[in-house]
Amino acid sequence: MNDNLTSDSDMSKINNPTNKMDDLQYRRSIYANPTSQDVDIIAAQNADPAKKQLAHELYLFNKKLKQALSIPVPDDLYNKLLLRQTLASHQQDKRKSRLHLALAASVAIIAGLIVNYLHFSNSYNNLGDYALAHVYHEQNVFYNDDNNRVSLTSLNKKMTSFNASFSGSLGELISADYCRFDGIKSLHLVFKGLTDTVAVFIVPKDEHLAFTNKFSDNKLQGESLGFKQANIIIVTDKNESLGLWQRNINEKISWSI
Amino acid sequence: MKIFGNKKTPVQVLNIEPSKNISNMATKQVRYEALVKALHGDLYRYAFWLTHEKQVAEDLVQETFLRAWRALDSLKDEKAAKSWLITILRRENARRFERKRLDMSEYEEASIMDTQSTTTEQEIENQWLRDKIAQLPPEYSEPLVLQVLGGYSGEDIADMLNLNKNTVMTRLFRARNQLKDALGKEPKNRRFLHE
Repeated sequence: MNDNLTSDSDMSKINNPTNKMDDLQYRRSIYANPTSQDVDIIAAQNADPAKKQLAHELYLFNKKLKQALSIPVPDDLYNKLLLRQTLASHQQDKRKSRLHLALAASVAIIAGLIVNYLHFSNSYNNLGDYALAHVYHEQNVFYNDDNNRVSLTSLNKKMTSFNASFSGSLGELISADYCRFDGIKSLHLVFKGLTDTVAVFIVPKDEHLAFTNKFSDNKLQGESLGFKQANIIIVTDKNESLGLWQRNINEKISWSI
Repeated sequence: MKIFGNKKTPVQVLNIEPSKNISNMATKQVRYEALVKALHGDLYRYAFWLTHEKQVAEDLVQETFLRAWRALDSLKDEKAAKSWLITILRRENARRFERKRLDMSEYEEASIMDTQSTTTEQEIENQWLRDKIAQLPPEYSEPLVLQVLGGYSGEDIADMLNLNKNTVMTRLFRARNQLKDALGKEPKNRRFLHE
């Protein structure tokens, strides 16, 4: 089959310089497009009654073709199409609302995680705040007139895990226990003070708590001593001399590394 | 805490977006319904002559309009809607062939049209012609359907089918020529010839 060798009116113009269509060219053109308004076609029809007859015949044939091609359209197709689209966009909406629900759920989960995080981990960002809170938390656990005493030897035993020891007693030690200092394993010492207990924390260096040299509130005061290996934090009431405690610790502590 | 302050933003977005879309959606809906109403018949007929099966044609039209709905925003010129839809339909049909290449290799003549029990001469003529059209090679029947039903010019058809115009005109000639030949060979249909 050679589709390109065609005889549309374009071709006839090229092949026929006299502008007169031969029968075959005319036939091909009118078969290809019975409703053609091409000037050459019209001219050929007017010049030749046989061509006009063929055109009429093809015109009628085309009408029949059109009738045959116009098959009945199912009555319900229009409604089906609308229904299908409504369902499809409903589904889309549902997907969208599912997405929104998922988003909301994610937000809730993240919020929950944040609350969790704030609640159970480092809620204090400097040593002083935490030390004060810690002391307040245990204020009913230790009393200044407590008769319990911890010996220097057992204190130093506990100090070994911080690679440190005291060369002499710092005072009357009521309690020496490991504790969690805002999540960091530390040693919590409670000494007998002038009017109230004196708390001393030995806290390994940790990044999440900022070092605060001196801190206080309306009842308590405190000071941090930064050593290379750990921080030592003293918290006392306002009657105590922080400087004295500080000097005392500085003189008696020794680090093994 | 700041984190909780930020939570408001997505919630606000969720509230605004649907309401903003409602008017768009309504316009889109109106456009779509107008499109379906005006063109579903043409599309269905075109699909039928492409597939020769009523049910397949219907499915194809549904698939086509569904795609059209999703892509409706990309249709800028309403005058181009019909050829746009035909293009989608042809693509869908090609996809259908990819899915089940073997299914359509042959069709039974009986399934072309289930003969309606109309006994008018007109219907018998139509039915006879339909069978003949269905027997045309698809490369002949497709331009014919586009020209006669769609009212497209040779250039338009050439554009839609990715052919050159001369090829389209030749195929149109051969389509009509074959149909008329068939008519001539059928003695009882001699009355079609108007000779």
